[in-house]
Order: sequence, then C-alpha cells, then structure tokens
Amino acid sequence: MPPDTPLTRRSLLVVTGKGGVGKTLVAALLGRHLASRGRRTLLLEVDPRANLHELAGTPPSAGDLVRVSPTLFLQNLQPAFVMEQVVRDHLRVDALVRRVTKSAIYKHFIDAAPGLKEMAILGHAWRLLHGMGPESAHGIEVVVLDAPATGHGLALLTAPFVVAEVIDQGPFAEMAGQLATFMGDDQQVAVVTVTLAEEMPVQEALELRDGLVERLRRPPALLVINGLYPELPRGRTRRGDPTTELWARRWAMNERELRRLDARWEGPRLRLPLVPVHRGPELVDALLPAFEAGLDDAGVIGADRAARS
Amino acid sequence: MLTNRPLTIVVGSGGVGKTTLAAAAALESARQGLDTLVMTFDPSLRLKDTLGVGDAARDREVEVRAGTRGKLVASLLDARATFDRLVRRYAPDEAAVRRILENRLYSHLSGTLAGVLEYMAVERLFEVATEGRYDRIVLDTPPTRQAIDFLEAPQRITGFLESGALRVALKPWFAPDGRLRVTRRLGFVGRSVEGFFDRLVGLSLLRDMAEFFLAFGPLYSGFHDRAQAVSRLLTSGQTAFVLVTRPEEERVPETLFFARRLVESGHQLGAVVVNMVHPLFDSGADDEGDRLFAWLGERDARGVARFRALLTRHQVLDVPLLPDPPADLAALDTLRALLVERAA
Repeated sequence: MPPDTPLTRRSLLVVTGKGGVGKTLVAALLGRHLASRGRRTLLLEVDPRANLHELAGTPPSAGDLVRVSPTLFLQNLQPAFVMEQVVRDHLRVDALVRRVTKSAIYKHFIDAAPGLKEMAILGHAWRLLHGMGPESAHGIEVVVLDAPATGHGLALLTAPFVVAEVIDQGPFAEMAGQLATFMGDDQQVAVVTVTLAEEMPVQEALELRDGLVERLRRPPALLVINGLYPELPRGRTRRGDPTTELWARRWAMNERELRRLDARWEGPRLRLPLVPVHRGPELVDALLPAFEAGLDDAGVIGADRAARS
Repeated sequence: MLTNRPLTIVVGSGGVGKTTLAAAAALESARQGLDTLVMTFDPSLRLKDTLGVGDAARDREVEVRAGTRGKLVASLLDARATFDRLVRRYAPDEAAVRRILENRLYSHLSGTLAGVLEYMAVERLFEVATEGRYDRIVLDTPPTRQAIDFLEAPQRITGFLESGALRVALKPWFAPDGRLRVTRRLGFVGRSVEGFFDRLVGLSLLRDMAEFFLAFGPLYSGFHDRAQAVSRLLTSGQTAFVLVTRPEEERVPETLFFARRLVESGHQLGAVVVNMVHPLFDSGADDEGDRLFAWLGERDARGVARFRALLTRHQVLDVPLLPDPPADLAALDTLRALLVERAA
C-alpha cells in the first residue's frame, strides 16, 4: 500500500464541526498555511452570512472568486449559482437558460431533489480543480471548504452518494458518479473536524467521526481542538475569587474532554489556545504559529518536509 | 421569568445554549406550580441526561422527578415520526398512506428537505397546545445556521408541499395515475424546458417526484389549513419567543436582524438572553491567563452593553458563563436561579 498523501498535499480539505466551534477560523488558518507554502489555495465558503473575508482581511466576495494574496483566493458560493452553471453548460443559449431557471419546476426540483444543492458545492470545487469553467484560469491547486454548520457536514460529504442513488442518468448523475469517486479517494480529499474541549461539541465530533467511518469508510484526517483555556498559574489559589474559580474549572473541563478525546480519538489532533485577539486577520496572525507547529506535531505536514529530512 | 405566556419558543443560532436555557425556564415554570412540558429536537439528546429521563422520552412525554409544585414533563422530538403521523392523519385511506411512506423520495425528503425539522417542531407544538394538557409548553427549536431559518422554514415547507406548480409542470409527462406517458406532447416550450429536464436528470427521478406529489395531493388542503392555524397560534397572545445569543461582536448583526423580523412579522419577543458572559476580571497579576480573562470580561461587557443599547424595547438578560455546562437537575436548578435573579 502506498503511504498516505499528507493532509497538506491533498486537493480538497473539508472543514466540519458544530456551529460556533471555530470552523471558519480553522479554514482561514489552513488557507494561510497552504498559500504560504506556494500552493494556489481557494477558501470556499457557503454560508450566506459571509465571514471568511473578515479573517482574510478583504471585502465580501459577493459570489466572485477574489484574490487575497498571490496564492490565496476566496469565494462565497451560492449553490443556486452552481446549479445554473450546470444548466448553462448544457443549454448554452441564454434565453433558454433563463427559461429553465425561472420555471417553477426548476425551483421546486432544486429544493426537492435530495443532496443536489450540497453536491453542487463539491462539484464547484471539483470543476475548479479539474480546470473546468472560466474561474479555473486562476489555477487553483487546493480548495479549503468551510462546510455548513448544520448537520455535521455529513450531509455535504455524502451528497454525491445520495444523488447517485436517486438520479440515474444525465449530467447530474454523471457529476454524482465522478464526485462519489473523488470523495471516496483519501489521497485527494481530507476531512478536518473542529471542536471545542466541551462535552457537547466533543460528543458531536465523535458522532461525526462514526458517521464518516460508516459512510465514507474513513475517519477525519485531523481533529482541531479550538479555544483552550490556559492553566491557572502555579501557586495561584482559586478560592475566594469567582473568576479565578471559573478559570480553574473551565481549564479542568477542557482537560477532562482532552482526556476523553485521547482515549477515543485515534489519529492526528491539534490544539489551539483561546487568545485575547478580536476576530479578524490579526486573529489568524496570532494563531498561525501555534497552528503550524501543531500540524507539524500531528505529523500531517506534506512532502517538502519529508524531502528535507 | 423570560415569559409569562402559555407557549414559549426558544430560538437562536447553534452553540448558544438554547436547550439548557429552555430546560431551566421550564423548571422555573414548574416550580411556580404550572404543569410544564419542555420539548426539544436536541440531536445529541443531552437533555435526557440532564433531566434524568433517559431514552424513554424519545418522541414520548416523560415526567421529570424534579420535586416541583407543577409537573415537569420532557419530550425529545423526532422529525420523521412527526411527519409520518401527519401523513397518516391527512391521507384519505391506508393505500394513500402507504404510497407516500413507501415512496423512494419520501425518506430522503422527510430527513433532508430544508425546513422539515423546523416545521415539525411547530407542528408538534400545535398538536400538544391544542390538547390543552399543560399550563405551559417550552419549545427548544432545532439548531439552525441562522435563527431566522426557523421562522422561514414552515412557509418554505408548506409552500413546497402545497404548491401545485410542480404537479402542473410534471403533468405533460404523466398520465393521471402517475404513470409515465408513452408519447409526449412537446411544443416549443416543452422542448426547451421539459425536454431539457428529461436530459438533465432522467425520467426515473421525475417519475418518483411526480408520484410523490400525486400521492400528496389529497393532503394539500389539510396541510394548508393546518399551516394557517399554526401561523395564527405563533402570532397569538398565547405565544412568546425568547431569543438566545452570545456576547461576541459577530453575533450582534444577526441577533438584531432576527429580533426585528420577529416583531415585524407579528410575533411577540419576550426576552433576549445574552448567554455565556465572561465576568469582568482584574487580578492585578499579569500572567497570560490573567490578560486573557481581563480581555474576555471586557469584550463580553461591551457586547452586553451593545445589545442593551440596540434592543431598547426588549428585556435583555445577561447570563454568566457557568464553570461547567449543567449535566444534572441540581446544576440546572443553579442556572434557573441565576435566570430568576437576572430577570428580577
């Protein structure tokens, strides 16, 4: 068996996790890291409440693929737009495209066909990586997808399989087949899961892992444990002051959950501290050294490191 | 506290502590002597442990041994079971029930169609409220990406199920019995739109969809009347919403947006809870952790002040971050007492 392709050499990284655990932050960190190593990287976001641009320090992308730095790109994607692209590719005549996309059957179809919208998101990444469509002119080599918060992102990851099950012919079926093969290839696609060291997020991360093993036959390639409280300084007494008490107990809760993950999560893990920095590019700057050191420790950094040693 | 209406709906984005606050509010209500039901779609089913009701409360009502004057009852909702029940209620006969439940798309639709969970939550609330067995019902809403999704979902799903548009659009391809026509009448429009759909997704999916909508046909009027009744209940004087958020700056815009939308659409917003607030802290020391806690305290105080300044027409309650999330009834009671104290 060939050795696994390191996480940072794969072409699609899907960042998943419960709402509010710092998924977008981890996507931004991954994007910055990959881009700094010269890989042409796209940060792809599907939440209509765009906020990745805040962390990248650029204006909202408004659906366009915009350049953040020479090797880092950003796009806030509307699934409906991707579906329209597929229609456009097959019809080519603007008047007909409008006719189809404005029709009642089309709107309801998009809503009703299970997995179609989710698949469109993956399809967009796939098309870019395979040099299809006008935006592929940017030469994107790796896509970091900030997955939707609802569900565990499992619906997104398994969408091509669901679509392949319900649609058996035509371009969507073809797309589903290609994407199912792509998503099943762990040399190309990696899932990164984000959690807080708190009971419920950890529980959901464990459930997501089980779901992935069941549906995609593999666990996430990396677990990022975000927002860790620092340990109370040695010799500090916690009694008397309620905030010191809160500090000590939040830290103890983190430790408890870290131990649970140590026992139950096989595979690479990375820890990120809670830092006193407002959300924005400064936060990415502040956490990037710890993040990169963590990638290194977790043993998921790619080929050029291996080549050096 | 939080609300004095018979129906309380707790809304907010994921990760703000809705489920626990709903349970604490229900506990207070039962303590005041009201028979209270708390309903949740909490997918991790954590509430069952906190309340000590176990798996028995899955889609059933189970009494919590809380020792309160009023009864405290918990129910962990299941979207699919509620949907199945609705189909059974409105389908004209057993054959129609089977046609829907056995449709290949139904199992996907009932699980993945955007808004199903939210619609089923209010549907269930309506069912129980109509029966009148409780003095108060507290509904914890499903985790949505944005709080606003909860309000829009029921219209989306009923619009989708009721709309004859898809049936009409699919009609040329199918005989009235739902079977595929052997020959198709294709005018120019037919060639451009429908002919394209045929090529795009294939007939087998379209046949399944047509069958699904044909099977749903007899249920449309039931759904329609029901949706209107549900909507009336949500905007009636009986119902109040509690909006839960967190003090971080990035939560402000969507919280304000949702509060405004709730009120504009005729709903009653009872209170806005700013949850998980770090206390102000000045230890005098200058360790990394001291600086962090001082910063968190200031950040959250600024966030709470901002909510108070912007939401002048609503009660804004700030609830401190607890050292540990409540995992049993005693800890839940601590949160309840905190809520009562903040609301006073």
